[in-house]
Amino acid sequence: MNSGLLEMLHYSQNNEMGITYFNENEQFGLGGAFMALNSDQGPSGLLLNGAMKPEPCLENGWSDDFRRILSYENVSSTIPRTLSCPPDVEAPMAEAVVGKGKEVVSSFSSSATGRESSKKRKADKTQHLKVVAEEKTEEKKMKVCEEEESKITEQNSNTKSTTTTATNSKNTKGGSANTKENSKVSEAPKADYIHVRARRGQATDSHSLAERVRREKISERMKFLQDLVPGCNKITGKAGMLDEIINYVQSLQRQVEFLSMKLAAINPRLDFDDDNYLVKEDFLACTSNIPPAPSEMVNHTHLQFNTLVQGVQGSSLNMVENPMEGMLRRTISAPISIPHTFLDSSNLNQIQHLTWEDELQNIYSTEYQQGRSTSFISQPFSGLFEANQVKMEM
Amino acid sequence: MMSSLLSPNPAVNSDRSSTRRKKKKKIQNQAENLENNSAIQWKSDAQQQIYSSKLLYALQQVRLSSGSSGAQASASKRVRDAAYRVLAATAKGRSRWSRAILTNRLKLKFMKKNNIAKRQRNVMTVIATGNSRVQKKAKVNVLRLKSKCLPAFQRKARVLSRLVPGCRKQPLPVVLEEATDYIAALEMQVRAMSALAELLSVSASSSNGSAMDISPS
Repeated sequence: MNSGLLEMLHYSQNNEMGITYFNENEQFGLGGAFMALNSDQGPSGLLLNGAMKPEPCLENGWSDDFRRILSYENVSSTIPRTLSCPPDVEAPMAEAVVGKGKEVVSSFSSSATGRESSKKRKADKTQHLKVVAEEKTEEKKMKVCEEEESKITEQNSNTKSTTTTATNSKNTKGGSANTKENSKVSEAPKADYIHVRARRGQATDSHSLAERVRREKISERMKFLQDLVPGCNKITGKAGMLDEIINYVQSLQRQVEFLSMKLAAINPRLDFDDDNYLVKEDFLACTSNIPPAPSEMVNHTHLQFNTLVQGVQGSSLNMVENPMEGMLRRTISAPISIPHTFLDSSNLNQIQHLTWEDELQNIYSTEYQQGRSTSFISQPFSGLFEANQVKMEM
Repeated sequence: MMSSLLSPNPAVNSDRSSTRRKKKKKIQNQAENLENNSAIQWKSDAQQQIYSSKLLYALQQVRLSSGSSGAQASASKRVRDAAYRVLAATAKGRSRWSRAILTNRLKLKFMKKNNIAKRQRNVMTVIATGNSRVQKKAKVNVLRLKSKCLPAFQRKARVLSRLVPGCRKQPLPVVLEEATDYIAALEMQVRAMSALAELLSVSASSSNGSAMDISPS
């Protein structure tokens, strides 16, 4: 026993405070346990853990405890491998041992039945902790740790609140109920487990639980953002990441503004008749398919008027545009040859209605001023195209 | 034995919790779908093509006349507004910012008149009282107080919520979700617009060159 405790001391020097605390209590707890332990307690402890795999090594009292110590050592050695869980894995053990210590003390004061129940609970916890060590998956550990802690908090609250016998009876029920819950957790660990349990040192009331859920949501979304925003991987703090995100959004918006300026500069030089020509062709093909035919017709005439208006107002630039039309047809039609897609989309129809009402008014006003509207309405499509050219040449 | 005694209680609890879990799962799945799919969706070429074709179509509608409405700056502003509108339309209203952009234009049209009247009223009051600085000072003080009182993280969250359209009063997790979609959409928009600008500039330059050749003859 002394050699085992010495080993624990060695490990405690190497590991963190949680384990040292745990070791001290372990000594106390185990010391107390050893006094009352019989070899019969081991298998009886095993009986309750129907869902859990019984350890084959838990046969004798003394060897039990050695192996328990070794299992804790194993757990502590696995801690550095998994970054997320070390405090939580250590913590429940510490808490478990503290709980055990208290319960052992209380069991001594109470009857033999109480003693048995406390040992059973201890055996439960060792089983659970060993399962924790064996599973070696982050999520499962977290959940089981949380389960452990919730159990412990339940049990602690129970022990504090009522008398020892009553608490012992409650604890036995709690222990078996917790095994049920643990089995459920182990059965369905992959189902998205939103139900959060209390952790070590944190309150169990609904407010803090909801807050923790909210914080987890936020951190999850920050992770998504981290993937999107370049250069966010190096920064770890939430505030720093938010800074990066804000800078990135602002830079993207500035880029869009710059590009829109560029497009606005390029736009008046171009005559979009070719696109209209393409649109007309596709429109003729698609009119039968599109239900809102009259609206499309109206929209279509808008197009023609728009280009005409632009042509009229930018007439000086348009003088050069005739020879451009051929080039435009070849260049623009090739990559952007899906004007029919937006003719089909209902969203765009809505936008068309939104934007074209005032366009229409402007166009009609200018057209009536110039007195050319009637002639343009009556002409067929190819004729309109020719009319554009004629007008340009003027 | 113990298990049989205690099975009904956990079963009942599990039923209730499972239904709750299912509801939460649905909501979470929807949210996750939006998050998971948004970046992938905006990265696809099809989306970019749809956007660029819609943008071209919309650009034709933009009034580029510089006579009535002023200098070239306003033209670029109109182009930018058109670009954002088309982006919101391409989003098909699945995200909050897209809906906000689409509804803002209508709001602006209706509220233009109201805003002009308000501004006139403000101007009149300022002239009457002669305190143009008072209002500004009060505003500045309030803003400074607000910025000092809030922790840095909250301040930045507010800034981000102001940046993303339609998310001014939303809680932080919603803002973050909208921001992921918005960033993906903005990236796509920048790619599409730069490609379009390049294409148009190339065509314009080539056609100008050809026009130069043709015109003397």
